[in-house]
Amino acid sequence: MFNKLRIGKKGENIIFGTFVLLYIGWCVNSPDMNIESLKSVLTIGLSVGIIYGLVALGISLIYTGLDVVNFSHGEFFMIGAFAGLTMFNLLGNQDWIFNIFPDAYGWIIYVVCLFTAFVSMGLFGVFIERVFLRPLTKKGGGYTVAGMGIIICGFGLSVVLINVAYLIWNPVAKPFPAELGLPMEIGGLFLPITYIWMIVVGLSVAAGLWFFLNKTKMGLGIRAVAYSKDVSNLVGINVPLYISIIFGIACAIAGIGGTLVGPTYQVVVFMGYIILMKAFAAAVVGGFGNLPGAIVGGFTVGIFETASSFYISGSHKDLYAFLLMIVVLMIKPTGFFGVQVKMKA
Amino acid sequence: MLKIDQLISGYGSVQILNGANMKVKKQSIVALLGGNGTGKSTILRAASGLIRSWKGTIEFNGEQIQNLPAHEIVGRGLVQVTQGKDVFPAMSVTENLKLGGFILKSKQQLSDNLEKVYNYFPRLNERKDQLAATLSGGELQMLCIGRGLMSNPKMIMLDEPSAALAPQIVLDIFKNINRIRQDGLTVLVVEQNVRMALLLADYGYVIKDGVINVEGDSKKLMYDESVKESYLGGTKANV
Repeated sequence: MFNKLRIGKKGENIIFGTFVLLYIGWCVNSPDMNIESLKSVLTIGLSVGIIYGLVALGISLIYTGLDVVNFSHGEFFMIGAFAGLTMFNLLGNQDWIFNIFPDAYGWIIYVVCLFTAFVSMGLFGVFIERVFLRPLTKKGGGYTVAGMGIIICGFGLSVVLINVAYLIWNPVAKPFPAELGLPMEIGGLFLPITYIWMIVVGLSVAAGLWFFLNKTKMGLGIRAVAYSKDVSNLVGINVPLYISIIFGIACAIAGIGGTLVGPTYQVVVFMGYIILMKAFAAAVVGGFGNLPGAIVGGFTVGIFETASSFYISGSHKDLYAFLLMIVVLMIKPTGFFGVQVKMKA
Repeated sequence: MLKIDQLISGYGSVQILNGANMKVKKQSIVALLGGNGTGKSTILRAASGLIRSWKGTIEFNGEQIQNLPAHEIVGRGLVQVTQGKDVFPAMSVTENLKLGGFILKSKQQLSDNLEKVYNYFPRLNERKDQLAATLSGGELQMLCIGRGLMSNPKMIMLDEPSAALAPQIVLDIFKNINRIRQDGLTVLVVEQNVRMALLLADYGYVIKDGVINVEGDSKKLMYDESVKESYLGGTKANV
């Protein structure tokens, strides 16, 4: 009899659409609703959303490639932010750079910082994977079998990495010291230019990843490893190496996300935890394991969160991402782009 | 070309192979026959490095290859073709084939081999832009064999190429296997379809309970009573 209670794909969409319409109606009725606030909500929502999307992209990439959920991913985000900040402080006192580029001084250094965070977190991710996660798979048949142990190891790593960062950089919140230009005017309101910077760089990273996965030989190998380790072995792909590469890329993307957030918000040791949770929400909303879905889910969570805290209540800002996740799980359990769960060997 | 000596292996703590011996001569087709759960596929998986060999040696071209990483074994020219379902369904036929040639360095060689495979299996050429998930069973098997041929192997090992296919398609695929041998490759076929496999092969091995039970010329094996017995797996009642 419960079969009759099931709603199909169409029913799911209708109910979800109703929820969206109700929500929009609620927002429109709010006294704060006007075109200026809508513009800033969209800009802030998109820029925060792309950060959630980038971290969710890494979580999804590791999930498809290694069949485990990486609970220490937020810490790579946090350490990436610190790596960028450290680089910024190092280059900040160098007069010769200032003499060469007096106009774009801050930006040049910032680009170098983004690059540093990307590369250093990539290498750090490979190191973590090789040293801490790989030995767990020795006993059984690789990552799929060792799943639970690796998930617990991820929690442990998260605690350890937070405390290591605490020792190195101490718990005081640090702002990015440099001036990255004046606030920019977007249709009548002034916003820090870093918001636009976040959206542009974030989208370029996502597009770069898409290009890498779909147009290069290594990307082809990664997609093959993500689908089946055995068959990839049989066509001559070095699967252990590729698993490290997948982990490294996911961590590098999280690191660049951390440095992107740095100038707008502050760099704190505990910033990784909440980002991880919201990135999970984004990944679930977009469809867990789906890479474009992660970005779309990030945007959705970002805009929903910002709009809700503007129009409904600003004092429960962190609540909305999870509210959205719960609603999506209730009505569309596979997320926007999710596919039916497939059996993996 | 391939020499397996006293091979012992299995999954986890379950021992499947209890000392199997085999030899495959160059440019021959050898059939490995046996019922379900006798260790046919385990031999292939051990030879291609997917599972560890616990004891015994596997020699390929005079070099010991047991317990090498799987991708190095492919690099040496020993390729296993899995059963038909093991393709990458979300990729196109061409992409699947290109993955088969993953270890090739030059693009020229990749496109040459692609031509070669389309020459063996013209059906794949007709469907080269389709997703592999949309192919029929016979086309999937062709795709698997084609993917195995992409890396310029010296020897390929086929795991049940006739499984779940119509007789007409099986005949077609077996003809192509014969063509592959005539072009200079060595072939090891694991089969449940005894008659067809022995018609194709030069030499046959019958495996039972993880050891080689009967071996011999395929013409001889075809009429051998003990083959029938060990293939059906019947244990004679000791009264």
